Formats: sequence, C-alpha cells, structure tokens
Amino acid sequence: MTPPGNETELLARVVTGDREAFDTIMRSHEDRVFSVCLRILGNREKALDATQDTFLTVFRKADQFQGRSAVGTWIYRIAVNVCYDQIRRAKRRPSESLPDHVDPADPSAEAAIESAALRPEIEIALATLPAEFRNAVILSDLEGLSLPEVAEVLDVPIGTVKSRVFRGRRLLAAQLGNRNTS
Amino acid sequence: MHKHDLDLIAALADSSLEDETEARALVETCPECEAEYRAQVEILGVLASTPPAMLSEFEKAALHRDLWTELPKEPGRSATPGWYRWSYVAAGLLVVVGLAGVLNGQLGGSDQGGSFSEISSGLDTATADDGGAQPFADLDPAGGEAESAETTMAAEEGLALPFPDLAEEARAQQRAGDRSQMSTETSKIETCLEGAGLTAHTVVQELELDQRYLVVMPEDEDVEQTVTFIAVDDCSVVFVDG
Repeated sequence: MTPPGNETELLARVVTGDREAFDTIMRSHEDRVFSVCLRILGNREKALDATQDTFLTVFRKADQFQGRSAVGTWIYRIAVNVCYDQIRRAKRRPSESLPDHVDPADPSAEAAIESAALRPEIEIALATLPAEFRNAVILSDLEGLSLPEVAEVLDVPIGTVKSRVFRGRRLLAAQLGNRNTS
Repeated sequence: MHKHDLDLIAALADSSLEDETEARALVETCPECEAEYRAQVEILGVLASTPPAMLSEFEKAALHRDLWTELPKEPGRSATPGWYRWSYVAAGLLVVVGLAGVLNGQLGGSDQGGSFSEISSGLDTATADDGGAQPFADLDPAGGEAESAETTMAAEEGLALPFPDLAEEARAQQRAGDRSQMSTETSKIETCLEGAGLTAHTVVQELELDQRYLVVMPEDEDVEQTVTFIAVDDCSVVFVDG
C-alpha cells in the first residue's frame, strides 16, 4: 500500500487530471474497498458495482479532499456511503436485486469467493445486527481499521464507535451462541 | 452489568487498554464479567480468522475497464463531452424538421411530405439494421433503452466508445437480459414467500452461503420489523429474528 503522505500528493495530482496517479491510488485500495462493500452488501455483484461507484466518486471529488484524514480513510467513507445508497435504492426496488453468480470465464473467481466467504452462521448472525453495529464491527474487526479510522469513516465520535463495536461483538456472540445451541 | 464495566471488559478483550489493572480485577471478581470477557475474546478470534475478501484478477480487469470508460476527462467534470450534448440539440432539430415535413405533406398534399417520410422510414430501417435501435433513442438523455449489439460488445471488450454513456446503457441492457432470464427464479422466490406465509414481505437481500438464502422483511414499516431467512432450495424458514 502507498504511504499516506504519498497518497495525499497522488490525490493532488489526480485533481490535475493525472490518471496514472489515480490508477496507483485505486490499485492500492480496490481490494479493501471491495471487501468493505461485500461485507456490508452481502452480494458480490452489488459489491463490484459499489466499488466502481466509489472510485468514480473518488475521481470526481478528488478536489474536495481536505486532508483532515488519510486518503484511505476518506475513500472508505465514500465506499460506506455508496453502500448505504445502494441499500436505500434496493429497499425501494427490491425486485431488482440479483443473486450472486460466478462468471464461468473467470477461473479465479470461485477461489476468490471461497476465500472471502464468511462462515454461513457468522454471515447470518452479522446480517441480524442493527446496521450501525454491523458496520462498526465489519470495519473494525473484519477489515482491521483502527477505532479512530472507523470513527472517521462512519462520521461519529470515537466513543460511539467503541460502544457500537463492543455491543456489536456482544450481539454477534449471543446470536452465534443461540444458533449453536438451537 | 454497568456500561463502564462492559466497555472496560471489551477493551481488555481487544487489548486496547493502556492499563489493564481495573479490568482484570473486574474479570477475576465478577463471574458475569468473566463470561462477558470470554465471549468477547471468542468472537474476536472468530472474526480475526476470517480472511479479507479479494477481487479476482478477472473482476479487477473488468473494474478497471469499466471505470476508465466512465471516468470524465478531468475530476469534477461531467463524463458527457460538450459535442455529445450538442448532438442532442442536433437530433432534436432533425426530428422537428422531419415532423414538419411529414405534416406539411399530409396537410398540403405535396410530394415533399412523401420524401420526408421516405427519409424518416429510411432512417428507421438503417437503424434497425444496425441492431434494432429506434432513431435517436440512443441519444435520449432520459435513458432510452435502445443501443446496438455492436455497442454492447464494445462495452464488454472495453473499447473506448465515442459515447461513454452508451457503455453504461449497454451494461444496463445486459443486466436487463439477465433479469429476464431469471423470471423463473423470481416466480420461485414468490412461491417460497407464499409458502412461508410471508406474502406481505419483501426480499431485502439474497445470501449465497452453503446454499441460497433470502432475507425478507415486512413491507409495511409500521408492523414489527422481523427479519426472516428462507432457504431457497426447499423454501424452509431457517431463522427468524425480532
């Protein structure tokens, strides 16, 4: 991953239309953005769309980056907002949701999906958490962001993040316990 | 358990405390606190053992290809070039002129109307030959459905199209095609919902795990918002929360 200081310089170059700089930033963050989107949306195709929308927004809004956080944190914040928008749209038009599929022309897709898949019981338990708890747990415990980074991404105070992460873990443990004993 | 105690125990579990004395004392003296600590450590272990999701090389290539097709020339600018916007105006003018000619022919009975009709008909034919599109429909800023088969293939192959928005339309049409193929699938889902007595529910998500699951919730936001998981294979309700 590109060092944070360099990324700020790269983003400044993106503002001038430097596509090579944009490509470097994108390659540095695309896997993690996709991972965040996949955990939140639970659907590979939607996560791919969200990843694309995220980087389109990054390019279009590069001039609005104010340097108050790391470039990566700013990008993940955009990704989370893109996912929220997708969920809102899906709620309005539920019939448009498509199931995941593996492209038969892509030999690496199945392996990638297997490696990315949460254990079913974890996925189901995660899906039952209230969104604010789920997203805090995803960013902190699955994607490995620090609590201050999660606070930046979710735009809430760090105390709120701690509370959401702790309670999210607690609910998750309870859900998994219920499923294991039922 | 007090909120402060829970925060302390959770922070002890994820090793984020600078001074662990108070938290350790709590865990050692309070059985409920110890159980909470163990639960938090266990769930952290489960989550930490989950590998990050990765894009496949194929997905990365597709992502880059699609992105470069859609990116505007410079940040903060529209992806639609100026000459493309002018083409809307030109197309509109052409339609107006064509219609005026047809009306003129019908009302005035002159031969000119016939020639405009022939031109219009010729345009229809030519465009249909190009892939079934209606004249100017692909210039419809409101998102006309039509585009040629060549456009779809070009979008798939990542060619730099002169009309960037057409690439998006091509993909939209491809998705629409996928959707129509899945009409059977949709009816199966509806049957599942009916069989489970969840007719006033809506599918909010589909999960592909050991098998396919539907996550459904009541459509009416005023009723209790229970979350139900249905296994698509046998339409059985596997989990209800709320």
